[in-house]
Order: sequence, then C-alpha cells, then structure tokens
Amino acid sequence: MSFFGRKAASSVAEERLKLILVQDRSLLPPAQFERLKEDIINILSNYFEINKSEINLTIERENRKTILEAIVPVLSVKRDK
Amino acid sequence: MGRTIVVTAGKGGVGKTTVTANIGASLAKMGKSVVVVDMDIGLRNLDVVMGLENRVVYNIMDISEEKCKINQALVRDKHLTSLFLLPASQVHTKDDIDVDKIVEIISTIESSVDYVVLDSPAGIEKGFESAAAPAKEALIVVTPDVSSVRDADRVIGLLESKGVSAISLIVNRYDLNLVEKKKMLDYNSIVEILGVDLIGIIPEDKAIIDSTNRGEILVSNASGSPAAKAFENVAKRIEGENVPLSDFTQARGMFWFLRRER
Repeated sequence: MSFFGRKAASSVAEERLKLILVQDRSLLPPAQFERLKEDIINILSNYFEINKSEINLTIERENRKTILEAIVPVLSVKRDK
Repeated sequence: MGRTIVVTAGKGGVGKTTVTANIGASLAKMGKSVVVVDMDIGLRNLDVVMGLENRVVYNIMDISEEKCKINQALVRDKHLTSLFLLPASQVHTKDDIDVDKIVEIISTIESSVDYVVLDSPAGIEKGFESAAAPAKEALIVVTPDVSSVRDADRVIGLLESKGVSAISLIVNRYDLNLVEKKKMLDYNSIVEILGVDLIGIIPEDKAIIDSTNRGEILVSNASGSPAAKAFENVAKRIEGENVPLSDFTQARGMFWFLRRER
C-alpha cells in the first residue's frame, strides 16, 4: 500500500495476471465444461447418492501441469441388489 | 551438429528481433558460427536491425522455391565474420510458407553451424508455427506487463504441445527503478507465474534505440552498455556457463544504474 492507500501498480498487475491466466488456462470452453460436469455426475450416480448442488469441479494449470480436481460430497453408497 | 533456437513471444513489439540479433551476435563474438533467420515472411525487419538491408539478394522463400542455393541467400554480418543472416521474403505472405521445406532448410543449415537462431513473427498462426517447427529450444521474450506475460503463457503452452520442451525466459526492457517503486512487475513474479526457467534480464537501455537507428547490433556497437552486457550473459548461459543474475537481485539504492552486470 502506498501513502494514499492505493495498491502498488505492480501488485495490481500481478493479481490481474493471475486471474486472467486462470481463465486462459482452463482448457475447456464453458459449454463443454458443463457437459463434463453432467457426465461425471451421471457416472458417479451409478455408484453413489451424491449431493449435486455441492459438486466443485475445477481445471487448473499449475507449474505447466493441468490438474482436474473434482470435489463430490457423497451422501451414501448404492449397493447392488 | 548445431542447436536451433526459436525466439518468440506471442505479442508484437516486445523485442524479439533485437534479442535475436544480439544473442546471435553475442554467440558469434564467443567464436561460434551462427545463422540468424528472419521468419517474419512478408514483414521482414531483422535485416534492418542488423544494418544489412542493402546486401540482401535472395531470401528463405527463394531457397524454398528452389530459385537459389542456401549459401547464396546468406548475408555475412558487417563486423562478425561468423555471423550470417538468412533474410525473410518481403513479397510473400505467411500462407505461401511450406513448413516441411522450411524445416528441411533449417536442418541443412544446422548441420554445418553451431547455432541457428530463428526470429519468430508475432502471433500464434502459421508464421509462428513455421518458426517453431524446426526448433528444439525456445527463448520466450517477455516485457514486464500484463499483456505480454499473458501472451507468453499462451505461446509456452503451444510450444509444449509441439514438443519444444527446453523453454527459457528473457525478461526484456526491465526498469529496476520502476520495479523498486513497485510500479512495474518484478521478474520473480513473472517467472513464478509462467513456470519456466529464467535465462536473462535485459535492462531498459537507450543505447538500443541509438544502435538500431544506426543499423548496428548493440553488442557490436556499444558493448559496454548495460543491455549489451545482459545479452552477452544470456549467450554465455546458452553456452552452459554459470553466470549469476547478481545485479538485479542485489542492486539497491540510488546508484543501481552505475553497477555493471557481471
């Protein structure tokens, strides 16, 4: 922070860059991303009762590696009858 | 068998051509045989930066179209006897490029020199692709601003997908004074964000404007200037020498500009 309470330009640039790159690096277009999410829900639903509203799916690039992370709250396991 | 390095950036105007000329000249000063290739078909400029525009007869498209031999198109530098320019065509467009032919030409040249340095055009289209195709190594030129770093990130991703894995970063036009006032991005942030190895930091240096206007390569014309020293250090690091980035990590205070990068 500088004298007038404004953030340093270099910090603003860094924060903006990081946000821009999160978007740029997410490799799937939004529509395809939604389809992927649906597919994952459908497959998992064969085995688990899941809380669909709390699924968190992210694709990130870190250190030049792409990581797909899915956090899926499982309510219960479905048993074969 | 030599090494083929592409100098690229994504964004235009960040100094690819200046970096190509100066790294090529620095390697030649170290006794290496070097061919610098202008891959900006239709918008050539490396000849002008090197002051060789009046000596250009043939170009890389003439070789590709079998109108001349490779040796006929090479232009020797005015000062350095082991530095050669292979000019781009000014009358063709990127659509005229035959990528396979270019790869073949560069590989022929590579087999008889120490280094081939390819000056890539801006953008990520065919011009960039044909500049990257013959290279196994890449130097990414970035200036400390959001647009340039963003474009560099995209280009690094594309190079990796094409199998160019030896990618190093040159931070160009770095103004330590502005960085210390926290007005300009710090090189550490850029390196961390992009996740590739840093091979050099080139300080903002008015001597570059003077040299370019005269058609002289900075490292030949003003070898004592801060940017020239930095370019020569990059060349040494390319050659495998361990040259520390001392100046930019330790310099502090009002007289930083008096210090010399070693």
